[in-house]
Amino acid sequence: MEGAQKQYVVIELGIEKYAFPISEIYEIIKMQKITEVPNSKVFLEGVTNLRGKIVPIISLRKKFIMKECDRTKSSRIVVVNHRDGIVGIIVDGVRQVTRFLDIQPAAETVTGLDGRYFEGIGSSEEGLVSILNIEQVLGQ
Amino acid sequence: MSGLNRTELMAFFLAEVDEQLFVLEQEILRLEEDKNSPEIIQTIFRVAHTLKGSSAAMGFDVMKQLTHEMENVLDKIRHRQMTVNHAVVNVLFRCLDHLGALKKQIETEGQCSADIAAIVKQLHQFEHQNAAAEQEKSQEQESGGWMELNPEQLKEAVEHGFQIWICEVHFNEECEMRVARGLIIQNNLNDIGRVLAVCPPLVSDSESAIHSIRFAVAAEGGAETLKSVIDGTADVQEVQISPFPVVKPLAAVPVEEPAKGREEQRNPAQAKPKAEEEIRKVGQTIRVDVERLENLMNLVGELVIDQTRIAQVGAVLGDRFAADETVDELEQISNHISRVIGELQESVMKTRMLPIEQLFNRFPRMVRDLSQTLDKEINLIIEGKETELDRTVIEEIGDPLIHLIRNAIDHGVEDADQRRTSGKPVRGTIRVTAHHQENQVVITVEDDGAGIDAEKIKQSALRKELITAQQAENMKESELVQLVFLPGFSTAKAVSDISGRGVGMDIVRSHIEKLNGIIDVETSIGEGTTFTIKLPLTLAILRGLLIKLAKTTYALPMSSVIEIMRLPHTEIDSIKGQNVVKVRDKVIPLVWLHDAFHLPRSSRNSNNLFIVIVGSAEKRLGLVVDELIGNQEIVVKSMGSYIGKLDGVSGATILGDGSVALILDVTGVFKLTGKESQLLSAELPV
Repeated sequence: MEGAQKQYVVIELGIEKYAFPISEIYEIIKMQKITEVPNSKVFLEGVTNLRGKIVPIISLRKKFIMKECDRTKSSRIVVVNHRDGIVGIIVDGVRQVTRFLDIQPAAETVTGLDGRYFEGIGSSEEGLVSILNIEQVLGQ
Repeated sequence: MSGLNRTELMAFFLAEVDEQLFVLEQEILRLEEDKNSPEIIQTIFRVAHTLKGSSAAMGFDVMKQLTHEMENVLDKIRHRQMTVNHAVVNVLFRCLDHLGALKKQIETEGQCSADIAAIVKQLHQFEHQNAAAEQEKSQEQESGGWMELNPEQLKEAVEHGFQIWICEVHFNEECEMRVARGLIIQNNLNDIGRVLAVCPPLVSDSESAIHSIRFAVAAEGGAETLKSVIDGTADVQEVQISPFPVVKPLAAVPVEEPAKGREEQRNPAQAKPKAEEEIRKVGQTIRVDVERLENLMNLVGELVIDQTRIAQVGAVLGDRFAADETVDELEQISNHISRVIGELQESVMKTRMLPIEQLFNRFPRMVRDLSQTLDKEINLIIEGKETELDRTVIEEIGDPLIHLIRNAIDHGVEDADQRRTSGKPVRGTIRVTAHHQENQVVITVEDDGAGIDAEKIKQSALRKELITAQQAENMKESELVQLVFLPGFSTAKAVSDISGRGVGMDIVRSHIEKLNGIIDVETSIGEGTTFTIKLPLTLAILRGLLIKLAKTTYALPMSSVIEIMRLPHTEIDSIKGQNVVKVRDKVIPLVWLHDAFHLPRSSRNSNNLFIVIVGSAEKRLGLVVDELIGNQEIVVKSMGSYIGKLDGVSGATILGDGSVALILDVTGVFKLTGKESQLLSAELPV
């Protein structure tokens, strides 16, 4: 199983856990000041400065139409590669790096969300984790 | 050579062709002004020769052939076997165009195959014509050709009190050994004076061609003495002696002047150094990949931001540990760094700056061609060629300027008859100037034509339903004139290929908006029109005014800021539900950007409002802001493709504390607030 070799970063969002393919991740940073951008995408939190680069930041909670909650000490921005640039995604916390024993295709809805946001469901010793499809998550 | 591959060679070749074509254009233009300058011809010849050499080396036969043919014709001109006239200049221009097209083809296709038969034929025609002209010329030389006098000698002779005489000696038909006879006469003349010049030159191979010889002689004696000396020679049929016409003024004025007057073929002495200087200038530059400069600029941008941060941290530490010497030291270092970075930034900016000359130099040719097409005499005056600005700005401003100049020639300057009737000089004048004003460059395009008729504009705008009758009623003349910038506006009755397609001014405006620039038009009937364009020097780093809306900081490009004012609430009027403010008799609509950005309007208890009057092209708008922070250099950064184009925001910058501030795009703000088209403050009665 080729999926078994791939590494994933597991993040937390409320009570749910999701996974990003590690190959897509540029870096993970702590929360920092974000400047709002008016009249842009609903789930766009704003932009921030990452070592002189302007990086757009989205909120995964907003994207998944979840209730916003206060940022905590464990809140992180997962910066992922997207086309020619990078985009930051705010998550409640970052759990661990893991490998999946098996990956099943995602169902039509996963934890109440549209199945297109997911590449599949990975199973590991700690249970099942939905793997995010970054292209879809960042898209409209 | 061996170290270079074909691609590098090609780059060198293209760069050289570029340079040479540039020189060629300048020189042909100069040639048109001064048709008899051997130096100019020499330069053009050299260009053709260089191009021939390098195109042959690169194997571009068509280009080689064309330059070869040019060379032939130029060579004839150079040796005075044909004269430069209007037709020659036109053909040279056509050659230039062909060469330009060939160069483009080489650039894009890597080879050139264009058909140059027509132009080569034209060049050939000149050569043949000149075969006939050559005959004429030699006859002309016999009867009254010119002679080249050394001004030094002339001067010396005059200083010694000699008279200068022209002695024309005609031999009879049977005379043999004419050259020898000529030399004898020359010797005899040298006994009583000094022979300064002989025409034709007395060399043996010109034997048969000589029918008469002309001597320029400096002598003390009068015409009779000279005559008697020459008459003594065998086979002389006739002698004519006349004084050299410019001897009198010679004593008074510098000797070069009359010598030039007498022999027009001579070049003004100053022309040569100038030409050389231009060539030298080209030689002193190096070519750097623009990408490298961009990269350098980005790095400097980073430094600028960090330096501001260091200064801020220093200030905080200074407050906290006022007594600590190390903090003092930090402040000193910080100050020094900011000075160095400031200079570094300026230097890097300068490397991106080019004199606007590059662009302005395209105008004379264009004006010449246009005025010929339209049969109008135009005098183009260019000032401030040396004004420097960012290359991206130069690239962007080219089209609008060309458009304005075309408009000025086509619509502005009247035709000759009309100008005569209104008592103006027949030759119309177009003045294009550039100069720096603080952190901006101001470019004006001015004509002395008919001016813009506000009434005509009004009618035209009404007809095209760009404004309503009621709006028109309320508009002042100066406002009516601004209507030319509306999309779809054109007053030209007939559409020519030069201007008047109804898109012109609109394009001019949008280009200038794109550059965060401002355009103004001033016109007076019968006297002319002036367009004034104000642009930022560079697009990469700009001076920004930092303001706050709600709690967020935004930057406004200083180049769009017209003025900043603080007004009490009572000064604000409302017209048809639109808040306006009156600034020096001008009604300016007021806008709370908060609404458009979905931010809460501030509920500050202060009685005063901060208003920033901004302009985009010809439009003005007052922005109500919550706080004015100050102005500083900001580095423009793109928001990237993920966010994409946003109305009202042109990019972002990083502030001293490391946070991001959005840069407001004034043009977008106009769009966003719906004040784009209808509000040329037109809707509002004054």
